[in-house]
Amino acid sequence: MIRFEMTELTAGERALQAEVRQFLAEELPRGSFMPGLGMTGDKDPEFSRKLGARGWLGMALPARYGGHDRSAVDRFIVTEELLRWGAPIGHHWVADRQTAAVLVRYGTEEQKQRFLPAICRGELSFSIGMSEPDSGSDLASITTKATRDGDGWVIEGRKIWTSGGAVNDWMVVLCRTTPPDQVTDRRQGLSQLIVDLRSPGLTASPIPFIDGTAHFCEIVLDEVYVPDDLVLGEIGAGWTQNTSELAFERGGPDRWLSTYLVVEEFLRRLAEQPVADAALALLGDAAANYWILHHLSLAVARSIDEGRSPSTEAALVKEMGTRFEQDVLNGVLALVDFEPNLAGTSIFERLLVTATMTAPSFTIRGGTTEVLRSVAAKGLQPTGGFR
Amino acid sequence: MSVATYRPPDPLVVETVDRLFGATCTFDAVEAADGDRWAGGVWEMLAGSAFPWVSIPEASGGSGGSLADAAAIIRSAGAHAAPVPISETGILGGWLLAGAGLPIPDGPTTVVPGSLAFVDGRVVGTAIVAWAEHARRIVGLVETPEGWVVAAARPDQVGIVPGANIAGEPRDTVTFEIAMSELESGPTPSGVDAEALVRRGSLSRIMLSAGALESMARLAVEYASTRRQFGKPIGSFQAVQHHLVIAGQCSVRASMAADLAVRASMASDPVRRAGSVGSTGFDLAAARVIVDDAAVLATRAVHQAHGAMGVTREYPLHHLSRRLWAWRHEYRAVAHWRRDLGRAVVEAGADNLFPLLTDSRV
Repeated sequence: MIRFEMTELTAGERALQAEVRQFLAEELPRGSFMPGLGMTGDKDPEFSRKLGARGWLGMALPARYGGHDRSAVDRFIVTEELLRWGAPIGHHWVADRQTAAVLVRYGTEEQKQRFLPAICRGELSFSIGMSEPDSGSDLASITTKATRDGDGWVIEGRKIWTSGGAVNDWMVVLCRTTPPDQVTDRRQGLSQLIVDLRSPGLTASPIPFIDGTAHFCEIVLDEVYVPDDLVLGEIGAGWTQNTSELAFERGGPDRWLSTYLVVEEFLRRLAEQPVADAALALLGDAAANYWILHHLSLAVARSIDEGRSPSTEAALVKEMGTRFEQDVLNGVLALVDFEPNLAGTSIFERLLVTATMTAPSFTIRGGTTEVLRSVAAKGLQPTGGFR
Repeated sequence: MSVATYRPPDPLVVETVDRLFGATCTFDAVEAADGDRWAGGVWEMLAGSAFPWVSIPEASGGSGGSLADAAAIIRSAGAHAAPVPISETGILGGWLLAGAGLPIPDGPTTVVPGSLAFVDGRVVGTAIVAWAEHARRIVGLVETPEGWVVAAARPDQVGIVPGANIAGEPRDTVTFEIAMSELESGPTPSGVDAEALVRRGSLSRIMLSAGALESMARLAVEYASTRRQFGKPIGSFQAVQHHLVIAGQCSVRASMAADLAVRASMASDPVRRAGSVGSTGFDLAAARVIVDDAAVLATRAVHQAHGAMGVTREYPLHHLSRRLWAWRHEYRAVAHWRRDLGRAVVEAGADNLFPLLTDSRV
């Protein structure tokens, strides 16, 4: 049976953790800003640039591309602290978490030089161009297509549920470069193209999100030209590249910290003494769960540093972490005796409002719970053992 | 959290004991222990290799080795549903005896999972005790005006009414009503009291359960890959895969929780390092909450995956699931541990919450 190796932070890693904590306490004192909920934190290019200057973006990338040759654990520490603080990580989040990793693995030397240093400085923002109106979990069924045109490709199609599509700089578009009737497997004939979100023929229109925000977009690609030098990796290898992009990042702290600040603010407001047994039980349960998820997630990062490919482990963590994010929120809501008001200005009330409405997305984004269960179940193979 | 004294378990010990349990804890042996109340074959093999006394210093009559070694042996016992008082003999009863400088018997030892009263020079109290009938010594902690005292009785010195938990493991009602002078006794070292015993007892249940949860997940995955319905293995159905994922998650959560609890316990083991056991509080309580939750969710999921096969005595699942259900109630129910954690969180306060969760400092 699969088992995660217990690990602990080294002295150097603890020092990094302390450094990030101190930076955040000084840069964004509690109460001085409206914190976000984990990975949906605000977009603040200025803040992203400060992180870049500290060396906290593109941490695991090679120094020759502007990165810092740091470990997955170092990256885990910085990410965990930023998320639990509700820091405005929206500008660099996708670029730092997944685009950079795909570029360094599959990009051309020219692409690496062009994009990676700017990502590490916190300057560039990327969107993810995977889902379409008729293709969500069944990603191989996408119909956005790119056809050959001179020294490049012309894209035709629609992408949907694209976070930041109207304000970001670039998008990695998964599209079909060989028609489905010319391949034996639908996963063949797909490619990834890097598309400038300001390209002629590209229209980004916000789709109002359930909480009334406008970061979600529909992207219409109407004869958008992409030169050959913006083909990411190999034509036809899009499925494999895309899968690797999703695999490991599923086990990160963004998958269990989305509602952490709701719990912290609930605790801050516990004025009544002695604290009711129901609140103690909730906090005890939450503490145990955060504790174990932290250690499992840290073990995934350590295992990446040791050269393993913990994709089953990562799927298990995301599946349980995102369900927990919802459960712990409901635990708090069950103890809230007032009706959260949209005009409320306190941090706690604002967090409650947003968390309640956006919680259903936690178990959908980045691979639905149902898809993850299939991924994880494939990794749980019989190994012999109990009688 | 100081982890200066932690070492992972000796891989040779882990491998050897796992093979030994595998060879002796056959389906028939575990099934027979249910009615016989004693698995002599399993015990003799185990005792022959001195495994029950690992973590008790050799100078005190034990086998040496660390608490991590002993914990790994207990986890293996849980994984094989071993019907023997492995934790009672070693890290609980043996620990108390060694700490008080009392002799370690060469047979099974058991422990009163709480405390006994001291009235007019007599040790008095009634408790449910594991494998009391077959123990050479029944060890208890007595609260006296001079402090905590370890007292060890022979079975013929106490009243024993046989009983069993829902897994069929002997849990006998033991009544002490005897002069202290008739018992082997000695004062405890600093830091060893009823609370420390409960924590160590809880650690033993965490280890046993983590082992059982791992075996149960393995059993479920194997069953789902071989059992066919509607013309294919049931593990190819998404609804069944969901059960397997729950079982796998419960297993990895409990295993990690168990490892962390051992590491924390070794950082302040009072036998090795005199002083407070307070720093084990958070990890140990959190581990118990995680393991209890896992026991509930995994037994439900794995039984569901097995269908009617799993609710018969002919199939080994009940050796694991009934034990997990029984152990939940030993060394305090989860509600106590959860509330302790809640109190630690309230004491830490909002600004210190995340450091508390990630550094395990209380």
